[in-house]
Amino acid sequence: MTARHSSDEASEHLPRSGVASGETMTMTEAVIAAIACEMRADQRVFYIGQDVGRMGGSMQGTHGLHAEFGARRVREAPISESAMVGAAIGAALFGQRPIVEISFGEFIPAAMSQLINQAPNLHYMTGGLARVPVVVRTRVGDGPYGGHPQDYSVWFAHVPGLKVVMPSQPEDAFALMRAAIRDDNPVLFFEPMSLAHGPRGPVVSNADGSVPIGKARIVRAGRDISVVTIGSMVPASVRTADDLAGDGISVEVVDLRSIRPLDRATVVESVQHTRRLVTVQEAWVTGGIGAEIAAIVAETCPDALCAPVIRLGTADVPTPSGKVRLHALPNPERIAEAIRALLT
Amino acid sequence: MASVDPLQAYRWLVVCREFDRALCAANPRWFPIEGEEATTVGAFIDLRTDDAVAPHYRDPFVVYLMRGAEMWRLASQVLGKADGYNKGRSVPFNGPVELNVVPWVAGDLGTTLGTATGAALAFQQEGSDRVCVCAFGDGTANRGDVHEALNLAACWRLPIVYVCQNNGWAISQPLDSYLAGSIASRADGYGMPGVCVDGNDVDAVRRAVIEAVRRARVGEGPSLIEARTWRWRGHWAGDDQAYRDPALEPPDIEDPLDLYAYRLLSSGTADLAQLRRIHADVESEVAEAMQRALAAPDAGASELGVDEVYA
Repeated sequence: MTARHSSDEASEHLPRSGVASGETMTMTEAVIAAIACEMRADQRVFYIGQDVGRMGGSMQGTHGLHAEFGARRVREAPISESAMVGAAIGAALFGQRPIVEISFGEFIPAAMSQLINQAPNLHYMTGGLARVPVVVRTRVGDGPYGGHPQDYSVWFAHVPGLKVVMPSQPEDAFALMRAAIRDDNPVLFFEPMSLAHGPRGPVVSNADGSVPIGKARIVRAGRDISVVTIGSMVPASVRTADDLAGDGISVEVVDLRSIRPLDRATVVESVQHTRRLVTVQEAWVTGGIGAEIAAIVAETCPDALCAPVIRLGTADVPTPSGKVRLHALPNPERIAEAIRALLT
Repeated sequence: MASVDPLQAYRWLVVCREFDRALCAANPRWFPIEGEEATTVGAFIDLRTDDAVAPHYRDPFVVYLMRGAEMWRLASQVLGKADGYNKGRSVPFNGPVELNVVPWVAGDLGTTLGTATGAALAFQQEGSDRVCVCAFGDGTANRGDVHEALNLAACWRLPIVYVCQNNGWAISQPLDSYLAGSIASRADGYGMPGVCVDGNDVDAVRRAVIEAVRRARVGEGPSLIEARTWRWRGHWAGDDQAYRDPALEPPDIEDPLDLYAYRLLSSGTADLAQLRRIHADVESEVAEAMQRALAAPDAGASELGVDEVYA
C-alpha cells in the first residue's frame, strides 16, 4: 500500500467531483463518488468500460469521471468483455488497481473464464504470491428501462476466491465500493438497476471499513419473522414490513449486502430470535442465495424454526423482458403473502 | 542480438531439450517441446528481467530458468512435489510470479492472453518502458480471447509482443482442420505489424522479437509474430499419436539445435569441443535437478491451504 486516504471525508470531495451535490445522493451518484474518492487518493486506481467517456457511462454510471481524470484513467475499451476483465486482472497482478465495468450483468458470461478460471484462483494457485485487486462493476435486475434484467450474481457466490456484494442504498453503495477498491481480492459489485436513480439517501461515510464486505445489516428489527434479502428486494421487504406492522406483525428485515463472504452469524441470530424465515432475492430461486441461507439455518440451528422456510425470487423461467417481467418478479405483495402463510 | 553470447543461446536450447526429455521420462502427462525449442528460446532470451513473460504452456521451463528459477523446483512441480513453485496447487507449467512470469492458472486456452495483455496495460499505466512477451499455440489462435486481446492491445497501443508458436498440431488435429489461412496476416486486420518467421531458427525468431520489443518499448504498440515449427512428439509425453500418419510428415524437418550448432561451427564462433562440453554440463545439471526433485516429499494436505484463498 502506498500513502493514500489522506482525507477521507466524502463530503469534502463531492462538490469538487462534479458528480453530486447536496446531502443526499442516488445510488449511482454514491458509486461514482466512491470511485472518484479512491481515484484521487491512489494513482493506481483506474477505470475500464464501454461508453464511460464523454457519454458518461451506461445509465450515466460514470458521469463526471472522464472529465476529471481523463482518458488514460477512464479507459474506453472495445466491446470485448473477456479482454477487458483479463486486462484488468493482468494489470492488477502487476501493481495496478483497476475497476472494470461490464455495462450490464447480461454481458458477464462473455468474460466467464477470466472471472471463474483466472481471477479467483491466482492468489491461491501461486502459493499466496499473486494479488488480484480488481473490482468488476455491473448492473442487474429490473430497471427503469426494462432492458438487460438478468441477475446472475449468485453464480459467483459459488466460487472460492471471489467476493460478491450488492448494495441496497446509497450509503452502503458508497462504502462498499470504496471497500471493494481497497480490497486485494477480486470483488464483483452488483448494482440493482431499479435502485440506480432513486430513492436518494444520505451518504455520510467517512471512516475506512464502515461497511466491511461480508457484513449484513438489520434494516428493521422485528419479533415474528426474519426476511433475509438483498439488493432491490430490501426496500420491497421494508415496505412489506411497514404494511404488516399495522396488522400487528413484527417483521425483521436483514440486508445481506454481501453474498460472499456471507454473514452467517447475523442470519442465524435473527432466525433464532424470530423463529421464522423468508428469503427474497431478485434472481432465480433454484440453487440461489435463499437455498444457502436455509441450509445454514438447517445446519446451525434447526430447532429454532417453528415453521417451514419460504424462498422467494424471480420465477423459474428465462428472464422475460417488458411487461411480462412484472409477473415473474418478487414484490411486496408476494413477500406479504409468504409472511402471512408462515404466521397462520 | 549482441547482448546474449551465442554459446549461451546454444546452452539454453540444450537446456530446453534435455530438461524436457527428463520431464517426459518422469511424467507421461508432461507436454513435450522437442523440436520447438528455437521458438521458445528465441522469443524470450533478449528480454530484461523487469519485463513480463507469458510463455506458451508447452514446456515453458527454459523461460523461467532464464529468469532465475531453480531447475529442481520446476521439476518438483511436474512431479507433484511440495517444493515446486506454487505449492503444488496449480497446473505444473505455471511459473513463478515473483520472477515477472504472468501466472497461468486457467486450464482453458486463450485466457492468459487477456492477463498478459493486462501486464502490458500495467506498464503503460505506470509510464515505464517495460514490455510483455506472450506466446501461444496455433490451436489457441482460434479462441475468441485471442481476437479480443489483440484488438484491445492495438487500440491502446500496449507494449506487448504476441508470438504464435505454430507447430502444426492442436492435440490430435492437423493444421488444415482448424486453420484455413495465415495467423501472421491477421495482424493487418488489427492494425499491427505481423511477420512470419522460421520457428526452427533461433536467430530468425530473435530478430523478429527484438524489433517488436523495440517498437513496444518506445510506445509504438503491439506486434504479432508467427513462428512456424513442428511438433515432433505427442501432445503429451505418453501420447502414442495413433492419429498421426507418418506418410504425411514433412520430409525436411529441421532440428533447431543442429541448425544453430552448424551456424556456430561454420562461422567459427564455436568449436565442437565447446558444444560437447555444453551438452555434458547440461546433462549433469538436469540429472542432479531430477534426482533432487524425485527425492522430495509429495505435496499433500499441508499444501491445501484452506485459509489461503483470499489475500
